Amino acid sequence: MDENTISNAGRWMLNRRDFLRHGGTGLSAVALLSLLRGQELLADKTPLQWSPEKPFAPRAPHFKPKAKNVVVIFCSGALSHLDAWDYKPELIKRHDQPMPGSAGLVTFQGENGNLVKPIWDFHPRGQSGKMISDLLPNLADMADDFCFIHSMTAKSNTHGPAENQMSTGFILDGFPSMGAWATYALGSENQNLPAFVAIPDPRGVPQMGPNHWSAGFLPAVFQGTAFNTEKGIPNLETPREISSSGEKNTREFLKFLNDRHLAQHPGDTDLSARIASYELAAKMQLSAPEVADLKKESVATLEMYGANDSNKVKAGFARNCILARRLVERGVRFVQLFNGAYAMGEGVGNWDGHRTLKSQYDVHRTILDQPCAALINDLKQRGLLEDTLVVFVTEFGRMPTFQKGASGRDHNPHGFTVWLTGAGVKRGFSYGATDEFGYKAVENVTTIYDLHATLLHLLGLDHQRLNYYHNGAERRLTDVHGEVIRGILS
Amino acid sequence: MADSTNDNAWWSLKPVKRPQVPSAQVGLPARNPIDSFVAAELRKDGLSPSREADRRTLLRRLYLNLTGLPPTPEELAAFEKNKSPGAYEEVVERLLASPRYGEKWGRHWLDTVRFAESNGFEMNQPRPNAWPYRDYVIRAFNEDKPFDRFVTEQIAGDIFGVDEAMGFLVGGPWDQVKSPDPVLTANQRVDELHDMVGVTGSTFLGLTVGCARCHNHKFDPIPQKDYFAMKAVFEGVKHGERPLRVSDMEARNKELAAKKARLGEVETELENFEPLANPLATNAVRLPVNARKNLERFAPVQAKRLRFTIAQTTQAEPCLDELEVFTAEKTPRNIALASNGTKPTASSVYPNSEIHRTEHINDGRYGNGRSWISNEGGKGWVELEFPEVVTIAKVVWGRDREQRFVDRLAVDYKIEVATESNVYHVVASSVDRQKYDAEKKADSPALASNEAAKKLLSERADLKSRIAELSNGPMIYAGTLDGKPEITHLLYRGEAMQKREEVKPNALSAIPVAFALNTNAGPAAKIPKDLTDDQQRRLALAQWIGNPNNPLTARVMVNRLWQYHFGTGLIATPSDFGKNGAKPTHPELLDWLTSEFIDHGWSMKHIQRLIVNSATYRQASAARRECVAVDANTKLLWRFPPRRSDAEVIRDSILAVTGKLDLRMGGPGFSFFEANENYVRVYSPRREWPPETFRRMVYGTIVRQRTDGVFGVFDCPDAGQIAPKRGTSTTPLQALNLLNSSFIMQQAGFFAERLQREAGADSTAQIRRAFALTFQREPDRKEISASRKFVRAEGLSSFCRAMLNANEFIFVF
Repeated sequence: MDENTISNAGRWMLNRRDFLRHGGTGLSAVALLSLLRGQELLADKTPLQWSPEKPFAPRAPHFKPKAKNVVVIFCSGALSHLDAWDYKPELIKRHDQPMPGSAGLVTFQGENGNLVKPIWDFHPRGQSGKMISDLLPNLADMADDFCFIHSMTAKSNTHGPAENQMSTGFILDGFPSMGAWATYALGSENQNLPAFVAIPDPRGVPQMGPNHWSAGFLPAVFQGTAFNTEKGIPNLETPREISSSGEKNTREFLKFLNDRHLAQHPGDTDLSARIASYELAAKMQLSAPEVADLKKESVATLEMYGANDSNKVKAGFARNCILARRLVERGVRFVQLFNGAYAMGEGVGNWDGHRTLKSQYDVHRTILDQPCAALINDLKQRGLLEDTLVVFVTEFGRMPTFQKGASGRDHNPHGFTVWLTGAGVKRGFSYGATDEFGYKAVENVTTIYDLHATLLHLLGLDHQRLNYYHNGAERRLTDVHGEVIRGILS
Repeated sequence: MADSTNDNAWWSLKPVKRPQVPSAQVGLPARNPIDSFVAAELRKDGLSPSREADRRTLLRRLYLNLTGLPPTPEELAAFEKNKSPGAYEEVVERLLASPRYGEKWGRHWLDTVRFAESNGFEMNQPRPNAWPYRDYVIRAFNEDKPFDRFVTEQIAGDIFGVDEAMGFLVGGPWDQVKSPDPVLTANQRVDELHDMVGVTGSTFLGLTVGCARCHNHKFDPIPQKDYFAMKAVFEGVKHGERPLRVSDMEARNKELAAKKARLGEVETELENFEPLANPLATNAVRLPVNARKNLERFAPVQAKRLRFTIAQTTQAEPCLDELEVFTAEKTPRNIALASNGTKPTASSVYPNSEIHRTEHINDGRYGNGRSWISNEGGKGWVELEFPEVVTIAKVVWGRDREQRFVDRLAVDYKIEVATESNVYHVVASSVDRQKYDAEKKADSPALASNEAAKKLLSERADLKSRIAELSNGPMIYAGTLDGKPEITHLLYRGEAMQKREEVKPNALSAIPVAFALNTNAGPAAKIPKDLTDDQQRRLALAQWIGNPNNPLTARVMVNRLWQYHFGTGLIATPSDFGKNGAKPTHPELLDWLTSEFIDHGWSMKHIQRLIVNSATYRQASAARRECVAVDANTKLLWRFPPRRSDAEVIRDSILAVTGKLDLRMGGPGFSFFEANENYVRVYSPRREWPPETFRRMVYGTIVRQRTDGVFGVFDCPDAGQIAPKRGTSTTPLQALNLLNSSFIMQQAGFFAERLQREAGADSTAQIRRAFALTFQREPDRKEISASRKFVRAEGLSSFCRAMLNANEFIFVF
């Protein structure tokens, strides 16, 4: 068999579940597979095998992974790196002076005024002495645990496309999210919960809403399931008018109908997959409420997160943070935790501080800081950080200047900060840098593609080999770009 | 992979040649040439076709496949009784002629072209006037519009008075977040056109032309220059609405003006029933403020200046879209207008904004796009200085008269006036207004209790609905065309800011069909003279695509039709006939069908008639062991491949079975979501299902990024990218939705009522009727006894709920 007899799409066909559905039991397909192996056709593209009957069954990565699970903390609205993580003495020194070379510069919302020093002061933290601001004091205290990337760049300076890029790799709508890619590749360690959970902020969803957890053109089963401690999985609960014995009888009766139908159509595994999906659904009905129920958490834990805080939004976010930990504990592969929502308008419910950054961030920092720090501490104390990677991101950074006539900063995709902690990354480490004002990344410039490549790498996946045919191309999370950021690996 | 720019030897680029029909006869007798081609391929692999499916299976397959709805038990009985040799073909003709056919097949087309009725991206606002494209597509299928004509209208429908067909070009996502940043603006425009080029290439040509934006196509002979030549064709098309040209436009506009004038009078008369503002009041007698429009009446007073001061808003800086001040005359005049010489000032203004400016407060134009916002959280003031002292008695203000925004609303405010003396005194304020409640939409109690007012209210309602009809009807989301396309440049690496040489409009160089501007030699259609430059470009491309010598267009469409009959096309990658796509499983059959298609006037129904009448289509679907071992994917069609139904078929079938299906066709769709008015739209799934949601699912408004909360998980595309082939996933969330959603519970109840109505009180009769409606068959004895037992224990609704979840209902065999 030479390469011409099997087109790219032919290989894609092999990737597809049809192969397993019909071929998994068929001798010829197995023979074909070994033939392909023999020809080393699959050296680069080992077909990804998954069974629709067990979509979340754990699957082997390309190589030994450093991390088993991922928690992405996504701060929606663009959290200002200059007021939080990226210490720029020159910016402080030149406060209220024009940024050199900025004459005529027009950014997202228009013209800009002078340089403005960070609104919260920076201080050295921990053993490393890393300079971090007072914006998020609890997180700042954990600097020794974090691996900062100060030279991140985004492709768009608009929330929608930029959020798309951070979560799906593409600025356009319609592409699979990183959680969908990861669970498509790896399945999950827990068969009774969704493999990929998105936890929306108590205030609502971010600008791009469900795009963040979309399956795009991947099989729908890999779409993230969105729920938090306040709003559970839709349609999870058996309707009130159906008693528990009634539900049991219904399932049995349905199984009776389906089994008889299957008996008349032997060999059609789509039918048994659908029967299995009802069993999986029943297990999820038990497991999902359990994971979102915090009653068994100790008072000390609830206090540590701030779950009973009088600030309702903070308490809600804290409960979401506890939920994230509980999901990871139960082996859920990918958790994306959102901080900030857009429904309330610019900067009101998220980090989009265009005009009154100080007063808006004073609201948001209280909500984010304690619960988020508690989550990382808790994961660490419980030993979960050993095989969990935590990634703290936002869609882009903000300008070192204030907008003309306003007290806030405009969008800046040219340089911003994300950080990682946990499995496989250095601790108390900083990588890359922006220029003297924090405007543009200048040292070890990284892209979101690089971040995604690194994330997949830590999960044991080669981002160039994890692909799926759609509309003429073998699509990847990293498009045609991306390099693993070796410098941050432990 | 090597650059293959000049390689046009690829099979799909070779001319279509009608092949000889093979003489192969294997197993079943050939009903038409399709079977001979299929048999020839089967024989090569030592396979044989399956026997014909039983009549019930055949009828169910045919109905679900052609119309998306199951046959009724009565239709099945009639078919089983009809022993004439042409009984099956008769049904085929009936179904192809049914309006239900276009609703089923139109939906497939909408997937292919990524059609949706919201903008996508961050704001994802609705496109309330995009639905005419859906109706157009459904109509085109029902009328069996010749496909070459279908192509032409979607690209250049404006030339032929079919504006709605151009919803195709602007059917994709559009980022409505605009910015003064020129780089962002240029990128957005390049991406818009990229969508049009890409979707035109994939839809009609089955080529991934979009891949040649940054460099020559890596697999197919599409140089980067060709991409930009096609971009030039669409350079004159922008996203947006344009008036739908209708014959009685002039009369409509005249009526509209008259109705609007009368509405103004009625509203003024109604206002006279409202209580006067009383700044000294201790009780709240006046209506709460609302974002649209608020009235302040007071005793006539002299004023040189009027100041509106806001002390608190619902959130953020206050916004006023217009502040109107009326004279105390018999016919009050709005003295505030800048055109009267009135000058506005303000405590502050939102910085760097084109749309929020102080002078917008009295420019006579409504809406957020012409409004004032202060630069102070929750407060601010505006002042109007009239050219002279006037006597006034009324102020009208709003946050957004166009009703798109409800935030930034002033809830604590006062209105003061001053004469030349500069001493201000309050004429109206929020003290006597009821507490603001976003949910509450009440008409004033003063109106409800007065007979004259009631009459006026009813006249107002009539006027408003007629005005809505007259002004909304004729707009259509089909793009705006100014007839003056910008110059197209090749962009280095596809980047907006990297302009290189100019590129003229053209089609793909690898296909030897002439791209002719300035042509009047169109296909029979009358082409008007004096086409704009933009129209000439699009017409030329449409004719190039629809040229019978174009080797791709007809092949691609024939393959799409085949795919939706058998689940997989003769080419498994329906929008990619290039080198990265799949190769044809039956190349000669594809070309035979393509020749038939063109020779029969590009009739889609002709091809479908051939397909569904073939013995290949009529085969049983049992998975025969010996065949599975050779061809597990049923690529060679030794059986009819069974599959899970699409979301639309499942939902429509449920409604058909419960007897609630509403077959009203056309017009604006119904919504799967609860209403929401945010700047960034949040689409929350509906929890209650009123009868207007019982229409066929194709009439559900398609929202980008968000699919229906019940059936969306059955692989409904999110319309971000094209979906030329849907998945057929099985997921636990599907099971949860079909078991527990309010929709299913409601429909199970309706189903139970129907069974009682049609089968009476006898449980066995009810069960038999349920099997007939859901599965189109009789239950056997075991099924009856299990069902009876279940109904006795759990009730008829629970039984109905289970039936609607059964595999037999969800799959097509």
